[in-house]
Amino acid sequence: METPKDGNQPPPKAQTMIYICGDCHQENEIKARDPIRCTECGYRIMYKKRTKRMVVFDAR
Amino acid sequence: MAERLANMAKEYSMKGGVPREQQWAALQELTKPHIDSFNYLLHEGLNKIVQHMLPVQFEISGGKRYSIFIQDMTILSPRLPESNKVAITNKVYPAECRERCTTYKGDVMIRVAWKSDGKLEGFVEKNAGQIPIMVKSDACHLAKLSPKDLIRHGEEAEEMGGYFIVNGQEKVVRMLILPRRNYPLCIKRPSWKTRGQDYTEYGLTMRCVRPDQSAINMTLHYLQSGSVKVCIAYNKQLYYIPLIMVLKALLDVSDKYIYDQLIGGKEDDSFFKGCATYMLYDMLEQNLLTRTQMLQYLGERFRVRLNMPSWYTHEQVGEFLISQCICVHLESNLDKFNKMVYMTKKLLSFAKGECAEESADNPMNQELLLSGHLLLMLLKEKAEGWLYGIKMGLDKVIKNKPQTVLNAAAFTDPCKYTASLTRPLEYLLATGNLNSRSALGLMQAAGLSVIADKLNFYRFLSHFRCVHRGAFFAQMRTTAVRKLLPEAWGFLCPVHTPDGTPCGLLNHMSADCQAVNTPCATDPIVEQLQTLGMCPTGLPLPIVMSHCYPVLLDGRLVGYFPDDIAVDATNQLRALKVLGLHQIPSVLEICLVPKTEVASQYPGLYLFSTLARMVRPVLNLQLNKTEMLGTFEQVYLDIAVCAEEIHPGVTTHMEPSEQSMLSVIATLTPFSDFNQSPRNMYQCQMGKQTMGTPLHAYQHRADNKLYRILTPQTPLVRPQAHEKYNIDEYPMGTNAVVAVISATGYDMEDAMTINKASYERGFAHGCIYKSSVVDLTLLHKDKATSESLVFGCETATAGLDPDGLPPVGQLLKDGNPMYSYINLQTNTTRVERYRGAEEAYVDHIKILGTESGQGKLNKVCLVLRVVRNPTIGDKFSSRHGQKGVCSMLWPAENMPFTASGMVPDICFNPHGYPSRMTIGMMIESMAGKSGALHGLFHDATPFTFSEDQPAAAYFGELLHAAGYNELGTETMYCGETGTELEARIFMGVVYYQRLRHMVSDKFQVRTTGPVDPLTQQPVKGRKRMGGVRFGEMERDALISHGTSFLLHDRLFNCSDKCSSYLCKGCGSLLSTACDKPSANIAAASFEAKRRWTCLTCGKSDKVTLVSVPYVLKYLLVELAVMGIKFKLDAK
Repeated sequence: METPKDGNQPPPKAQTMIYICGDCHQENEIKARDPIRCTECGYRIMYKKRTKRMVVFDAR
Repeated sequence: MAERLANMAKEYSMKGGVPREQQWAALQELTKPHIDSFNYLLHEGLNKIVQHMLPVQFEISGGKRYSIFIQDMTILSPRLPESNKVAITNKVYPAECRERCTTYKGDVMIRVAWKSDGKLEGFVEKNAGQIPIMVKSDACHLAKLSPKDLIRHGEEAEEMGGYFIVNGQEKVVRMLILPRRNYPLCIKRPSWKTRGQDYTEYGLTMRCVRPDQSAINMTLHYLQSGSVKVCIAYNKQLYYIPLIMVLKALLDVSDKYIYDQLIGGKEDDSFFKGCATYMLYDMLEQNLLTRTQMLQYLGERFRVRLNMPSWYTHEQVGEFLISQCICVHLESNLDKFNKMVYMTKKLLSFAKGECAEESADNPMNQELLLSGHLLLMLLKEKAEGWLYGIKMGLDKVIKNKPQTVLNAAAFTDPCKYTASLTRPLEYLLATGNLNSRSALGLMQAAGLSVIADKLNFYRFLSHFRCVHRGAFFAQMRTTAVRKLLPEAWGFLCPVHTPDGTPCGLLNHMSADCQAVNTPCATDPIVEQLQTLGMCPTGLPLPIVMSHCYPVLLDGRLVGYFPDDIAVDATNQLRALKVLGLHQIPSVLEICLVPKTEVASQYPGLYLFSTLARMVRPVLNLQLNKTEMLGTFEQVYLDIAVCAEEIHPGVTTHMEPSEQSMLSVIATLTPFSDFNQSPRNMYQCQMGKQTMGTPLHAYQHRADNKLYRILTPQTPLVRPQAHEKYNIDEYPMGTNAVVAVISATGYDMEDAMTINKASYERGFAHGCIYKSSVVDLTLLHKDKATSESLVFGCETATAGLDPDGLPPVGQLLKDGNPMYSYINLQTNTTRVERYRGAEEAYVDHIKILGTESGQGKLNKVCLVLRVVRNPTIGDKFSSRHGQKGVCSMLWPAENMPFTASGMVPDICFNPHGYPSRMTIGMMIESMAGKSGALHGLFHDATPFTFSEDQPAAAYFGELLHAAGYNELGTETMYCGETGTELEARIFMGVVYYQRLRHMVSDKFQVRTTGPVDPLTQQPVKGRKRMGGVRFGEMERDALISHGTSFLLHDRLFNCSDKCSSYLCKGCGSLLSTACDKPSANIAAASFEAKRRWTCLTCGKSDKVTLVSVPYVLKYLLVELAVMGIKFKLDAK
């Protein structure tokens, strides 16, 4: 399972993902090391947005 | 009948989509016993325990005496810690606790005060930790919310509450049966004979309950000598005290007075006189005369046990013992004295055979343990312990600095450790285990709380209605406790109990049954009794006591009613109760136990206004109003089930409906009066195993497993209860066209075939939501490591987003990456993969912060959706206890069809009917068919049809009107050949439930697979790809069949077969070794070139390869270790 990476590699650049606040439904951009909370209301549970990637390939 | 039909059609109109203004009242009523008891804790209970808690006393070196006590205690609503400054509201709602797997708990605020010499010196206000808050109780933020607001906060529109959320799980405190409080029971128990010399089996036990709901048991024993001993319990230890000593310690009265009291009403009875004289004389002999002497005597003996302060005199200790152990439900010593005298008289007449034995298994002598009361008892005990802890802390402070003055500052340190106060409550709810010194007077310390799993709505509901007799009784050999007694009528459902081990012990309350939870004032009742002609205690009686009924209100002797007016007075009191006049509480239990010729229950007028009793509404015929009846008084009333049963002059009450004896789940079985009774019991069980709609807020849940049915329908045939409880919000089945026909060979033993076309159109389609919460902080024991883990992936891992989580909507197969996380210290990434034979979709992903709002991305909740459409082997059932597995998805074109081209959804084997006699299912079939034809929903309430108006005729008529056969049968044609079937086929519409038992969860098969590393035998367990054990009896079967090759295959080839070298010379399996190959042939390392030699014989010509079980080899090694040689005789 372990995928060893050499430790000298620079830390990955923070990539932002979009999450939806569970309380006020505001969309939040959260970077990798950001605290988990809604910038709007301070709520602590967020939902990952559904991917825009196509997930069904075998459409006949 | 016709008008009801019209009503049904009118009433039903879909109003979906928009939340109601108000919640559905009937549904909210069901969790009331739980919520009200918790509200009692919040509003009254805390004050009561503060009042009744004993202060902790101590002396400091200067001789100054202090007592510290709790002055006030309050519980606050759940909120965020002060440290969270970012949230716009500090309220915490239950949905957040479920999703984040935390506990829904609120702060406990305690004010500790201290006194010296009776003078209040000061107090400190402390936050003593947090205790779980019941959802929808008054301390919960959801208490008064409308459906719309509830939905807004991630709840169900019809959220009922009544449970706690502990670590994200919903926990219910099980209601337990307890003996009725403050009522002495005559019991014969042979084991009592062993308690000492002269002890007999006759005794009187009473569970005394203080106003703060804490209880203590007390027993009176009858001794052969004619005396009575009082058995008290203190800290689980039993002590026996002579009755007269207790009586004298209570009141300073003369022996003559006690004698007169004891024989009061039995003045001519030599037995009573003899007993009383003997007991008094006995005490006299011990030279104990006055109250002071008694108290000193008791105090001296109990002083160490009671752990009293050193400066207390023996007399004070004695008084303390009396106040804490004798009739604790009463405050004054006079009341206690009277009660003890009354109990003695009851015991003596029981021993003499003048009154009958009572049973603790009888619901009339029982009440409930409610969640709020349990928590209150535990809270009191723990608060006492906590207070004692503070004292110990203060002792330490004073020891270190003797000049310390007791002030708020001195309390800071000792008050720090609050975990001991609140943790046990959370622990109790989380595990169901009671961690208590005294066990709170309960008979069990485990299994007090259960998870309220939301498998479907029925199951969830029944958690709040279930009443358990107690774990102790489950082990009992006798079945007497399990018996359904007539006294349970209307309170406990006769149908809704599981079969098997918990049968009769795990009952469910009837739909209308409630628990009393509002305390009421007793003074107005006593006043009213006096105006009705009761002679209060303490005043001389106008007539002799033998012509009077004693009046006991909540276990307190309040007076006497002369025989001639007792019945009238009782009736008048009942009228006042029903009409709610003169502050007589509506839940007052009024039981006049009449005097009879034969030995019966001990006569008297017993009144109960206490909490935790079961009550139910019944129509009072005289006043034509609903009256709340208790279990005790019901026994002495004449209640008719229906109007035809009323006997004028005798019947006083009538049931609100014929089905008022049934529980919620049992009332939901359609036409249950047509079925053989066990079938209705099975349906109660199967209803709770159905894959249905358990809830609507799927996104706000984190349950391990949630079932969902995708194409549910409302039943065409439903009892009134279906509308009453608005079950349409949570449907759990499909109206299926069922042909009762043995059309295929695939219908043996309750198997049924499902139309493949129906399946393809979505019949009984469903899915399972599996949530898993991944908390990276819990992965490592090492704190620094675990805190440096965050979700994410360095380089793009196939199938994962940069946040280390799979995209929502992704299909996961076995071995696909599920999440990955980075160790920030070492900068290494670890990818965890999805393990599971079934494919699953990522339904949604929640990232979870901490309550401080500062947490990193290290806790997520992954919700996977597993598609579970019906397959062969899945279980289905109708609502009549008729379960069966699907044996085939039969092609529609091969199914039998009717003249109109109708093809059934399900073919049901006709052999399911004769032995099971589920006529209700046949009626449902006809009713469903006619309902579908006429566009009606039919009422299936039990007891509406009769012999004069048969259901079959009514629905037959409707079928006839629609142009069908009035027997519900149809001519059908064979699907394969197209020829007409000779038999007419009974076909109709039946509501079918899909049960949660599915093959995908259960199949277990292997030929080879994982083996045990030690024995090389197959492992067990489905999860580990193990095998099904082929045991001794299976072995016997194969031997008797002579199928030895099969046996060999099972037990050897598929098990731990291994090849090993054996030396035929010495018969050893262990001494053979492979020769070191010479260098030139080392390259050719295949087996044939190798030579094996026996190390003991030194020869290799007799070494041969044999197949042996690996365990044999293992055994030989073990034996060799012990120095035992094992010789195999090989040829």
